[in-house]
Amino acid sequence: MEKELEILVEELEKELQNCQKEADLLNVKSSFIGKKSKISQILGSLKEMSVEDKRKYGSIINNTKKKMEEMITNYAENLENQNEVVFDDSVIYDTQIGSLHPVTIVAKEVTECMKKMGFTVVSGPEMETEYYNFEALNIPKDHPARDMQDTYYLDNGMLLRTQTSGNQIHAMEKYGAPLKVCSPGRVFRNEDLDANHENTFFQVEGMVIDKDISIENLLYTMKQILTEVMKCEVNLRLRPGFFPFTEPSYEIDMECTICKGNGCPTCKNSGWIEIVPGGMVHPNVLKAGGINPEEYNGFAFGLGLTRLAMMKYKISDIRILNGGDIRYLKQFNIK
Amino acid sequence: MLISCNKLKKYIDKSEEIDWLNIWKTFTIRTAEVEEVKEVGKQIDNVVIAKIIKCEKHPDSDHMHILEVECGEANPVQVVCGAPNVRVGLKTAFIKVGGHIDGVEIKSRPLRGIMSNGMCCSKKELGISDEHDGIIELPEDAPVGMNIKKYLPIEDIIVEIDNKSLTNRPDLWGHYGIAREISAITEHELKSLELFNIKNDEKLETLKIKINNPELCYRYTGLKIENIKNNKTPLEMQIFLYYVGMRSISLIVDLTNYIMLELGQPMHAFDGRIVKEIEVGLANDKDTFKTLDNVERNLTKDMLMIKNGKEYFGIAGVMGGLDSEILKDTTSVFLESATFNAGSIRKTAVALGLRTEASARYEKSLDPNMTKTAIERLIYLLQKENKELKISSQLTDVYPNKLDETIIKLHKKVLNRYMGKIMEDSTVKNILEKLGFAVEIEEEYFNVTVPTYRATKDIKIEQDLIEEIARIYGLENFTPKPLKLDLTVKEHETIYNQEYEVKELLATKYDLNEVNSYIWYDTNLLKRLEIEKKGVKLLGKTENNILRDDLSFSLLNIAENNFKNYNKFGIFEIGTIINNNSNKRVLSIILADEEKNIEKTYNKAKEICTYIFKVLKNENIIFKNHINEKEYNNSKLGKIIFIDNNKVGEINVINKKITNKLAKKKVIVCIDIDFDKYVEIEKKEKISEEISKYPMVELDYTIIMPKELKYEDLDEILKNYKSKLIKKYYLIGKYENKYTIRYLIGSDIKTLEQKELQTFKERFIQHIKDNNLLIIE
Repeated sequence: MEKELEILVEELEKELQNCQKEADLLNVKSSFIGKKSKISQILGSLKEMSVEDKRKYGSIINNTKKKMEEMITNYAENLENQNEVVFDDSVIYDTQIGSLHPVTIVAKEVTECMKKMGFTVVSGPEMETEYYNFEALNIPKDHPARDMQDTYYLDNGMLLRTQTSGNQIHAMEKYGAPLKVCSPGRVFRNEDLDANHENTFFQVEGMVIDKDISIENLLYTMKQILTEVMKCEVNLRLRPGFFPFTEPSYEIDMECTICKGNGCPTCKNSGWIEIVPGGMVHPNVLKAGGINPEEYNGFAFGLGLTRLAMMKYKISDIRILNGGDIRYLKQFNIK
Repeated sequence: MLISCNKLKKYIDKSEEIDWLNIWKTFTIRTAEVEEVKEVGKQIDNVVIAKIIKCEKHPDSDHMHILEVECGEANPVQVVCGAPNVRVGLKTAFIKVGGHIDGVEIKSRPLRGIMSNGMCCSKKELGISDEHDGIIELPEDAPVGMNIKKYLPIEDIIVEIDNKSLTNRPDLWGHYGIAREISAITEHELKSLELFNIKNDEKLETLKIKINNPELCYRYTGLKIENIKNNKTPLEMQIFLYYVGMRSISLIVDLTNYIMLELGQPMHAFDGRIVKEIEVGLANDKDTFKTLDNVERNLTKDMLMIKNGKEYFGIAGVMGGLDSEILKDTTSVFLESATFNAGSIRKTAVALGLRTEASARYEKSLDPNMTKTAIERLIYLLQKENKELKISSQLTDVYPNKLDETIIKLHKKVLNRYMGKIMEDSTVKNILEKLGFAVEIEEEYFNVTVPTYRATKDIKIEQDLIEEIARIYGLENFTPKPLKLDLTVKEHETIYNQEYEVKELLATKYDLNEVNSYIWYDTNLLKRLEIEKKGVKLLGKTENNILRDDLSFSLLNIAENNFKNYNKFGIFEIGTIINNNSNKRVLSIILADEEKNIEKTYNKAKEICTYIFKVLKNENIIFKNHINEKEYNNSKLGKIIFIDNNKVGEINVINKKITNKLAKKKVIVCIDIDFDKYVEIEKKEKISEEISKYPMVELDYTIIMPKELKYEDLDEILKNYKSKLIKKYYLIGKYENKYTIRYLIGSDIKTLEQKELQTFKERFIQHIKDNNLLIIE
């Protein structure tokens, strides 16, 4: 009996060697351990054996069957592994990545931060009327800002907006007070191009109108925004400025983040960088927006997004930004 | 503007208590931006007043002299000097051996064999002038041996203030106004100016002065003076003028400049012999006029002129005429001190390209009440040098509309609201009074009288006063304070977000690069492409002056530049175009590739459009053919993008002629999506559908189409094949004219049986054959 079982195992071994496909294996499996296989017959004959023989052969037969089953399973695994696709897993292709414009990225950062503070984002037209660009902003007829040298006037009687501040008026007219809005956008100034001057650049306007707004609120808000955008704690100072649409008006300076206020080439040795003009909204501007200045007041500011992008990415030539050269623009990716 | 601290010190009581080097940091945050603080005269030492007592020609030189000078030491010193104006008795500046000039030490050394022990100095060497044609000549009473720095204000601190930050402060365009600010900042008393009180003598003539345009000339004050015998400017004044950037000419001209630098009031002195009658009025168009600088100027009818009799005499507030220039031999002068309309002066100066010190000041809206003070101050200073000066006319003052002081009510409630704190009455009063305002304290407000030198432009409403109080109170004393809590959820507009969402999708999903371009067409490009564009134009420009009405077309020069570095690329912009005189937002995408990839690129454009609308709006777009009218587009290709019956955009291919001009063997596909419409489309909310529990079957068919037919024709045929089992069908591949279509079929109520599948297949094949097409199973 033992001999017979040994031969069975040897035969199985031999047959398995010849198996190349899954189908062969299935045939071998059914003929060696299937219902009609030799081993099954032997197992079947067990019940006719004497108690003594049963005890003697029972476990041997069962163990042999188990062994044969294992052999087949193992071989099946081997066969699967052999059929796995083989390839060069060390290949690396160039990853194609698109890009957002650096100004878009910075604008997103600023507006995102302002949204967290409860501002909503509003827009306004690039081709604008004199009324919204000047008159409503308390810029009188003979003000130098209205000169042809600074403003692109159009042959249809309109102009290209020189500032996003006109959106203050649009927002007040549309949404009334109280109001907390910001408005990023493209503005135009009649300038000759060089590394530092562009005729087309971006600003973001910010405006808060409510009851009892103070200069201290303006200072707080600017500190929050700039801290978030510069990604470090910033120190600010207010300096008297002059803008027709705010009164009082301020130049808001940021302590130079490079030299910490000690003076370096970036801040022209002054320790401070002029970063954002702003002030308390002029009562005439509130009136133009249909808001009663006796009841409400507020502050407004205009942050130069193009300049912020240049600072952030250390771009030394402003012309890159409107040049559209993908080799430059690609560097800034998405975020 | 340059400011001399020596001059400021004269106007301020106990000025020695002020740290004149460092006060300017405070000035920057209180008043106006200081650009530079420079110490002058420091690099000179050991210079004393000396007298030449012996002067002999140098035996070995044709121009040098051997001098003996007394310089306060026991014995005279021998020095060799090359200056032409040396003579016995002359007092001059002498630098002793061991002294320094411009950092160079002066040593004893032989000059052509004769020992020279020191050096006599020119004004230039002392750093107080550009004159270098001889050694400085000091007055006879100058004390020999005295340190020159004690005798002349050579050491000074010169401060440059940013002109732009003084735009709204006409009162700060002179030293006296700056001194007033310093006195307010440091709480020192401001001294009043010494003036010559002109008493009008009835016997003297009244000058003939006429103002034709009182809206442009607010005041004209004139005075005639005679017997000016000394026309030499004192050295001290020369140094001051030099340090603040002006050239000394003659006493009377220097004094008019001095008054301007001191008070901010420009003055003009005409030769007294030729003034007949003064008329202030507008010029005639196309007249010409020669100004002091000997340039012929073209006048227009908007320019305000000073006329003498019928002749032009000067351009009001800008520059005098060559013919009325003060001549050397004159002892009689007509003084003009006037105020003009700021806008008019600015326009004239800009039109003529002639911005002068005077016009710069007039542009700021000067105080008309300053004209008389200016004349009285000038006479005071002139008389010091000309004791026998004679006033030969009445002080003639034409002042049609007198500017009076204004009173503003400053409400305490408003002040405290802006400041974010409660201000003490006394603090407010003190600050305003230091700045020259008069203040009466009432229960709820302050009655503030505004001096006219602040009232012309800057101070009109109570917020203007708050600015004054805040800055002198100290802006550094404000502490950041949060806004009050407001939990209202608001979103006024979604435009910005939607723009960003699309941009991000294009950059991340399709590897496209965002660009920013200009709102006008590049004229050069239009010319090269021979395309004419009509649109809104920029005034006064001949290049790049047409506003774009087609965003993707305007991006072609960016595309052209990128072809230099890439064969294949994609760019996009969301920008404004001007169409029918109104602003329109457009999303343009440009896909550029090699010409052989035209089909791939074109289909990619369709995929991008479909994707944007499906993902961000949950809308299915439809492409329809259109007849392309634009001359630069391929007339056969191109699609209009629809949502239902609403056109939302276009896809176009730039034609070969244009493309070839940009780059050879390339294809440019443009997508333009009307972003105003895009923003308006509300995103469809999707409601969940029941999904069948039973498996679906995929069936692929390849259909061979005749060459003249397109997929859209096949699609029509497929649409007509109807069966309840069809879940969806779509094109999965195309090779030449073979189109492979995939059908997904299944049932919601059971697993399909072989028989049903078979029937579907047979019916489908029959349907295709009925339409005269070949099918490969």
